[in-house]
Amino acid sequence: MPCPSDTSFRKRWSEIVAGRLGIVIALIVIAAVLALLKPHFLSAANLTNVVRQVSINGILAVGVTVVLLTGGVDLSLGSLVAVTGVVAAHLAHPGAFPLAVPIAAGVLAGAACGAVNGVVVTRCGVPSFIATLGMMTAARGLALVLSNGRPVSNMSPSLTKLAGDVGGVPIPAMILAAVALCVAWMLRNLRLGRYFYAVGGNELAARAAGIRVQAVKFAAFVLCGALSGLAGVVLAARITTGQPNAGVGYELDAIAAVVIGGTRLSGGVGGVWGTLLGVLLMGVIGNGLDLLNVPSYYQQIVKGVIIIGAVWFDRCHQSAGKERGV
Amino acid sequence: MRKLCVLALAVLCGCGRSGAPEAQGPVIGVSLLNLSNEFVVTLRDAMDARAKELGVRLIINDGQRSPERQVQQVETFIAQKVDAIILNPCEVEASSSAVQKALDAGIPIVNVNSETRAVPTAFVGSRDEESARLGMAYIADRLKGEGGVLMMEGYMGQAAQLKRSAGAIEVLKKTPGLKLLAAQTAEWDRAKAVTLMENWLQAYGTSIRAVFAQNDEMAMGVVLALERAGRKKDIIVVGVDAIADALQAVRDGRLDATVFQDGKGQGRGAVDAALKLVRKAPVEKETFIPFQLVTKENVANFLK
Repeated sequence: MPCPSDTSFRKRWSEIVAGRLGIVIALIVIAAVLALLKPHFLSAANLTNVVRQVSINGILAVGVTVVLLTGGVDLSLGSLVAVTGVVAAHLAHPGAFPLAVPIAAGVLAGAACGAVNGVVVTRCGVPSFIATLGMMTAARGLALVLSNGRPVSNMSPSLTKLAGDVGGVPIPAMILAAVALCVAWMLRNLRLGRYFYAVGGNELAARAAGIRVQAVKFAAFVLCGALSGLAGVVLAARITTGQPNAGVGYELDAIAAVVIGGTRLSGGVGGVWGTLLGVLLMGVIGNGLDLLNVPSYYQQIVKGVIIIGAVWFDRCHQSAGKERGV
Repeated sequence: MRKLCVLALAVLCGCGRSGAPEAQGPVIGVSLLNLSNEFVVTLRDAMDARAKELGVRLIINDGQRSPERQVQQVETFIAQKVDAIILNPCEVEASSSAVQKALDAGIPIVNVNSETRAVPTAFVGSRDEESARLGMAYIADRLKGEGGVLMMEGYMGQAAQLKRSAGAIEVLKKTPGLKLLAAQTAEWDRAKAVTLMENWLQAYGTSIRAVFAQNDEMAMGVVLALERAGRKKDIIVVGVDAIADALQAVRDGRLDATVFQDGKGQGRGAVDAALKLVRKAPVEKETFIPFQLVTKENVANFLK
C-alpha cells in the first residue's frame, strides 16, 4: 500500500476534526473571557494585531508540523531564525540587491541547514532530537560569527515593508496564510504529503510498502528549514535588523502550538489546520495577558497552565471520541 | 578576522589558552557575561585594544549567561596561574563564589560592569540605577511632570532589570503627576518589544504619553511599533545603553533619548586596574564611570 487508502485517510481526518473541536472550544472560552474582562479585545484593530503577532510562530509551527508528522522533532528552528535573519539583513542594505535576493537567501540558508539536519538524521542515524539540538547550538554560533555579535542594521525599506500592511491586512499574516494553504494542500493531495503520515504512523509498514522512508524524512527537515528561513526574513523585516540573538525559545513555542493543535509527538496524526488553531490560541493568550496587564511573573505561570490545560482537555476529548468508536 | 578565530577558539574549547604561552608580559584571564550581547562585545573590544597598548595578554572566555560556567572559567584561570582576573559577572549571588575562589587563591580580581556580593579586589563599572533615573527624569522634564508612562523591563530578576526599575520608580515617586500605566517585561528583546507595544497601544490608547525602555533594543522595538501605528509623534520614547542603532535613531529624531553607558571606558578601566594590581600599584577600590543622557543636541559627540 504505497499511500493510505481513501477511507483510512477520511477516518484520520475525522479524528483530527474531533481533536480540533476541543481546541476550538478552548479558544472560544478564552476569547469570551477576555472579551468580558476587556471589551477592546474584540476590536478590529486588536484582532489584526493578534494575527500579525502570531505570523512568525505560525510559519515555524507549520514547518515543524511536517517534521512531527514523520515522527521526528526539530529543535533548531529558533537558531535558524537568527541565522537566516542575519543572512537576509546582510544582503538587504539599501540599494545593494533587489528585494528577491535577501528573501531567497534567507529561505535557502534555512533549507540548507534543514538539509544538514536531514542528512545527519537519515544518513548518520543520529536521533532527530540530538541532531537538531546540535544544529540549534551550532546555528546560534554561526549567527554570531556572521554578525560579529552585533545586530545587522541599515535595512532597505523595501524589505521592512514586508512586515507592513496591505489594505489593512498584515503582510506577515498573508504569508502565513499562503504557507498554510500550500502545506495543507501538499499534505492532502501530493504523494509526498501522504508519505509523511505513513512514515510517522508506522515506519516499518511504510518501508515494507516500498516508501523511501529516509528520503521522506529528509524532505520534512528541508521543508521545515526553508520555512524557518522564511520566518527569519519576516522577523528581520519586523524588527528592521538581523539579530544574532533573535528567536531564542521559538522552537518550543512552535512545537507547543503544534501539539495543542492535535498533532501527535509520536507522529502520523495531525495537520496544518489544527496547528493554526494552536498558534492562534497561544497568540490570544499572550495578547490578552498584556491587555489585562497581568504582572510578568504571573504571565509565565498562566501561559504554562493554559498550554497544559488545552492539551489535556484535547486529549480527554480524543479518548472520549475513541470510546465512542469514532 | 584574527579576533574572530580567537573568539571561535575560546567559544569552542570554553577554556584555556590558545597556543603556547608567551613568556613576556602579564596574563589576565577575562570571563565575560555573554558575548552575544552587543554591550559585552564593546567591553571586550575595549579590553582587547587596551591590552594591546599595554602589552598585556588576555585570555577571554564567554560565560554565556551561566554563573556556573563562570565559576569553572575562574577555576581554570587559577589553575593556569594567571596574574589577574577580570570578571564581568552574570549574577550578584551566583557569580560570587568565582570572586571568592580567586581571592582565596591570592589572585587579584576586578569586577567590571556589574557587582557581586563578594567584594572583589577592585570594581570598575556604573551604577545601573543612575541610568534609569536619568532616562525617567528626562521624560518627567519633557512632560512637565504630568501624563501616563509605560515602562518596558528587562529580563525579570537580573541585576540590571532590578536596578533600572528601582531607579525609574524613584523618579516616579518624586513626580506624582506621572502615572505608571503598566510595567511589563520584553526580556531585552526587540521582537518581543514590538509585540508588547502593539498590545499596549490597544490597551491604553491615547493615555500613553511616554515609554521608558530599560535597554535600547526594546526602545527600538517600541519606536517601530509606534511608527507603524502612526503614533510616534505624540509619544516620547527613551532607552538605555546607547547602542549604534539607537544613536542613529536619536540623530534622525526617531528616538527621543538614550542613556550612554561607557562600555569602552569600563573595559579600559578594568584592564588598567588589573594591571596596576599585578604591579602592586595603588588602585581605587571602586571606580564609577558615569552615565550620560544622549539627546539630539549632543548625539554628535557619541557617533563615531
